[in-house]
Amino acid sequence: MNEEKYVVPTATFTERPEDYELKVLVPGVAKEEAELKIEHRTLTLKTHAKYQNPAGFKQVAAEFERTNYAISADLPEKADPETLAAKLENGVLTVTIKKRPETQAKRIEIG
Amino acid sequence: MNTLMNMDPWSIFEDMLGGSAFRHMRARAAGRFPPVNVFLDDNAVLIDLELPGKTAKDVDLTLEPQAVVIADKPAPVTDGESGAVAEPARPAWSRRIELPFRVNAEKANAKFKDGILRVELPKAETEGVRKIAIAG
Repeated sequence: MNEEKYVVPTATFTERPEDYELKVLVPGVAKEEAELKIEHRTLTLKTHAKYQNPAGFKQVAAEFERTNYAISADLPEKADPETLAAKLENGVLTVTIKKRPETQAKRIEIG
Repeated sequence: MNTLMNMDPWSIFEDMLGGSAFRHMRARAAGRFPPVNVFLDDNAVLIDLELPGKTAKDVDLTLEPQAVVIADKPAPVTDGESGAVAEPARPAWSRRIELPFRVNAEKANAKFKDGILRVELPKAETEGVRKIAIAG
């Protein structure tokens, strides 16, 4: 069986006033099974869950697969990759990246 | 939105073979209800539900003699000022799975791990054959 099959997980990318938030749904994946990389401005996630169906059981319903996930996203111009923070909890990966300060609108006092 | 699905083991087979996989995929994409995997052996039923981001407090599990109902448990709506609890919000989804045998409620257990809820339902011990005394 080909172990290298990847599924693109459900992901949402939200822009907020001061940062961006990427939420990726990777149910069944523990922190140790996920690999997050950034190369230039491309963020890549790959997961490798060692799940096996319970031995000796017959599967009578299969609506989802315990599978490997892979997704990549290019960071927008305003995002500062140095400020990237990621956490994986309950099968949800949340990545926040702050916007570069010089891209924030600033109020200028008129003298 | 209260989608109740009646799933007995036989209809699951028919569904899979009859190509309603698309219906499930669309429903899943619409987020209407969490997908389930069901495993069976002679002594137990295992049910996995995909619920990323959820934990025990978000789900209600009800056991009937030969079925299990897994439902969304939304946070109660409270009135901001008085803190009074309004009528509990309706569950966003609910799944009822009929089982091929009666289950032992005492030994039933459920656990969340990384957004997957696994429910384990051991088969109830059968009473066995009993002799009935005849009076007279």
